[in-house]
Amino acid sequence: MKRFILFFLFFAFGINAQDDLIDLIEDVGLNSEPVFATFKATRIVNAQSIELPRSRTLELMILHRFGSMSDGFYDLYGMDEAVIRFDLKYGLNDLVAFGMGRSSMNKTYDIFSKVKLLRQKQSGNGTPISFAIFTKCEIQTVVRDMDITDRLTFDIQALIARKFSRSFSLQIMPTFIHRNLILDRHDSNDLFSIGIGGRMKLTKRTSINLDTFLPIGERRASFKQGWGLGYDIETGGHVFQLMVTNAQGSFESEYIENARGEFEDLDLFFGFNISRVFSI
Amino acid sequence: MKLKIIFLFIIVPLIARDIYFTRSGKVSFFSATPIEDIKANNDQTTCVLDLETGDVSFRIPILGFNFPNSLMQEHFNENYMESDIYPNASFKGGIKNWREIVLTETFQEVTIEGTMKIHGVSKEISEKGRISLSKGNVIGDSNFQIMVADYDIEIPRLVRENIAKIINVDIELVLKKK
Repeated sequence: MKRFILFFLFFAFGINAQDDLIDLIEDVGLNSEPVFATFKATRIVNAQSIELPRSRTLELMILHRFGSMSDGFYDLYGMDEAVIRFDLKYGLNDLVAFGMGRSSMNKTYDIFSKVKLLRQKQSGNGTPISFAIFTKCEIQTVVRDMDITDRLTFDIQALIARKFSRSFSLQIMPTFIHRNLILDRHDSNDLFSIGIGGRMKLTKRTSINLDTFLPIGERRASFKQGWGLGYDIETGGHVFQLMVTNAQGSFESEYIENARGEFEDLDLFFGFNISRVFSI
Repeated sequence: MKLKIIFLFIIVPLIARDIYFTRSGKVSFFSATPIEDIKANNDQTTCVLDLETGDVSFRIPILGFNFPNSLMQEHFNENYMESDIYPNASFKGGIKNWREIVLTETFQEVTIEGTMKIHGVSKEISEKGRISLSKGNVIGDSNFQIMVADYDIEIPRLVRENIAKIINVDIELVLKKK
């Protein structure tokens, strides 16, 4: 009995001697919070990123691609020429966004939506990935007399992303593109591909980004695998993305299926994306 | 034998500590500059008070700060506070002259001294607060200022005019008995 009391006293004082009061209250943490900034912008380079415009904000994005750098100094590495796209997208909440855009290439208009179904959680046993579905309908208006159905292209992408660390994020993008009209008989209306994109932060506010799309199945002989290598600079409310890519069009059916440039002769395109966010 | 059991009954309440705590303490901060005002609220702060010794401890989850603008919140976590590396701010210390303080239903001013740890940087602080009793709970509040530069929080030149060098901090607590 004496021993028991001694033991008990020891145990009681042992608790008393705990050096930090806060340890009495278990840290339940905030692990259920979703991760922030898997990517800094709604695009990785060319590819759609898992990010949406923030809830109840309107994002105006301008995507600018210069001409081919192959003519060198004659046209200042393509600066004389430009292909531009602007789009406007609205974040309905943290999970749903939709928008529309217009690209000068093929005078293409489009409407699109991005819906997040899963959000990666900060840590612990929470969801390990983020998952979103991106859908889009493009209508080209460059040819004047054409059936409406022949003008249409449909894109659907699954975006599967994970922020592995504060500086490294990776995204996989199974993609399906259906074109109602094709000009090359060796081409197919239905095209599958898998996109891979990632970013590596260099400093707190800059990162190197890369994305590319690997074709699945047959392609026409002139097909080139599209890729983009970018550099993100975050300046307060803006993200400025500089890039070199082999695709001049900055919308899905172009940069995935219709990249034209190649390394040889520096036949590549310099470009940038800028976005401005308006709170509504 | 009986004596020993009685002894046990006496000693157990004596060594059980008189701990008051909350998991939902309110901490807010305010940065005022001519260009913009920034305010964020956190109502997930853990605070523990030992009524015997006057020791106080805080755990403030950085991710728990809510901003009206979610871009600001992202920048706060990612660029300034680096909440992935330093998930919590903390304070560990005590109320000065605790033995002389008798808690009543009216607020009385106290001085709290101890170590504040924000963004991985520890600093000794001494700040004023108020404390009272209400319906068996301990009520506390405090309002003080911290210097951003004291905690190695880097502000890029571009936004230097937008963020105050001195931040006002407000704390409101209702501590319940554990």
